[in-house]
Amino acid sequence: MTPARRSATSEMPSDCWYAAAPSSSVGRGLLALRALDRPVVLFRTESGGAVALEDRCAHRAYPLSAGTLVGDAVRCGLCGFTYDAGGQCVSVPSQDNVPFGASVAAYPVQESDGLVWVWLGEPGRARLHRIPSLPWLVAEGWASVGGETEVAAGFLLLHESFADVTQVPFVAPEIAPAVLGAVSPPLDVVVTETTVSLHREYPPAPLPSWQSEMLGGPTADFTTTQDGHFVSPAVWVDHWDVADAEGTTARLRFTQLVTPTAPGRSRVLWRVSRDFAAADAAAGERVAAMFDDYYARVFRAMEIAQAVLDTDGPGPEVNVAADVAGLKVREIVLRMLAEESPVVRTRRARV
Amino acid sequence: MAGTKTTVREHEVELVVESADRVAEGVVALTLVDPDGGALPPWTPGAHVDLQLGELVRQYSLCGDPADSRSYTVAVLREPESRGGSSYVHEQLVVGSRVTVRGPRNHFALVSSPRYRFVAGGIGITPLLPMIAEAEATGADWHLWYRGRARAGMAYVDRLAEYGDRVTLLPGDETGPLELAAVLADPSDDTVVYTCGPERLLDGIEEICTASWPASALHLERFTAKEIEAPAGGERSFELELAASGVTLTVPPDRSIFNVILDAGISVLGSCHEGICGTCEQIVLEGEVDHRDSVLSASEQAANDAMMVCVSRCLTDRLVLDM
Repeated sequence: MTPARRSATSEMPSDCWYAAAPSSSVGRGLLALRALDRPVVLFRTESGGAVALEDRCAHRAYPLSAGTLVGDAVRCGLCGFTYDAGGQCVSVPSQDNVPFGASVAAYPVQESDGLVWVWLGEPGRARLHRIPSLPWLVAEGWASVGGETEVAAGFLLLHESFADVTQVPFVAPEIAPAVLGAVSPPLDVVVTETTVSLHREYPPAPLPSWQSEMLGGPTADFTTTQDGHFVSPAVWVDHWDVADAEGTTARLRFTQLVTPTAPGRSRVLWRVSRDFAAADAAAGERVAAMFDDYYARVFRAMEIAQAVLDTDGPGPEVNVAADVAGLKVREIVLRMLAEESPVVRTRRARV
Repeated sequence: MAGTKTTVREHEVELVVESADRVAEGVVALTLVDPDGGALPPWTPGAHVDLQLGELVRQYSLCGDPADSRSYTVAVLREPESRGGSSYVHEQLVVGSRVTVRGPRNHFALVSSPRYRFVAGGIGITPLLPMIAEAEATGADWHLWYRGRARAGMAYVDRLAEYGDRVTLLPGDETGPLELAAVLADPSDDTVVYTCGPERLLDGIEEICTASWPASALHLERFTAKEIEAPAGGERSFELELAASGVTLTVPPDRSIFNVILDAGISVLGSCHEGICGTCEQIVLEGEVDHRDSVLSASEQAANDAMMVCVSRCLTDRLVLDM
């Protein structure tokens, strides 16, 4: 047993690009959301560029998202203070001069792979961090389904759950290939300074029925390769690739985009992408329904775990060898938090 | 169902030397890329990688741009008393050479601070370059003192010129000595000190910081292991409990903790085996550590909550690690 640990950390890493919203949700309206316990408003300029501003008028407590988009500027619905896309107040109704220093925070924004990424950390560091590459979300030959869920569980708890490869057959026995629950092949964990990857290969076995039907009912057994990637506190990606001896292959990508919204709370944009039956609408509906249910169960379990932590606090935990990926994720995140902390303190994160 | 056999290892990839440029007298900068054009793992300032140089493994700081996902840059000084690594880089590696790269890892990470004092000795400038770029990007107040034997041998002075009077160059053939007492005057709670360079420089800085700076202000990285004398009465044996694995082992006088763990079939990361790279760090739950590494600062060693299991040992009869 290990000493009390900090899955329940209330801190959230801010030096990270978070996938705030799908590109398709951001347009010529004002989209309000929370991230890192802050209010954010997203919109597009007339030329199509995405903008992220602090969603609170500098004048009085009132969300800008409850106001109006006027050209490339946002006008407060309460007092009429108007802010340009850089967050600078450009006009106030009651006087000719704009009050000195009237502005709201403008956050660096980038768009890639059909997502609007927002940087809420120290602005100068934004350029030094990369936006993860998730090409399957938009590539030809792939089809994605997905959803968005507010989860009453902390981002670290969610990542540790994604890292737990032994969990799937317990949470969703009908989705996973039967071989998952039957054998436990070696788990290979690869770490870098900021990432954790895991890899497993399963012996030949029949496909789960839903996938077999979508592939036209192949009779041969398939090998399964499973990869999981902690890319950043904002992204966990799983790869599930199957192949049979005759050369049939099918690839699944599970993209979990996590944004901490408050201590112990997160928003998850999840996507299930497949490179088989990609043009088959019925297959898409079936995958969507199945994984909607799957993620609901995973997130519900994490909410229960968070509630235990909230009620009784972190306690001793027993770790098994297969937990190493989750523990490495925890180590990386706690180190990030320690480095971001503006006060001078010991540089090493302790788990 | 049988237990899941789990191995944990560091990322390893074979890269190709895209360019090898002489950036100062006796210093070559290697740009390493994936032969297939793949993205390399991200890193943050202060990170280093292992290069596999024939039979040798050597650590070099990444000194390029962390935003560059395509290449890594390391700068290597030809050491007259090379233990083999630097002469291999200078003599064997040319454009097109393949080299196995492990990592990156970082035990010299830049903490967020409004003020930094950077002190570089010679090739010790390399980890500090990306740190300086980040400090500048965040608008922090910072200053670099960069000491070298002679200007011609000081790498990247051109690049540093753009920072104007934030940088004090101290080439030994032109100026007087580096006055550490002046550099480290006025200790303050909102300032951190980062230094990398030869042993003598770091020892001098460590001495001043230990005496007059807050405990966690100093961050240093050594090129070579500190020289530590073996205890007068010889090495002793102790009991080693790995709490998470539920295993109790005995560490005999002539074996390292690292090797005892490996022999027990438990996966543990390690690289340099001399206490400088920080890869094998483990969390200590019980026992008084006999620290012999060159990674942890004096205050971190005194905290007794972490250790490098490749070289450090235990002063008490029983050591418990969280692994």
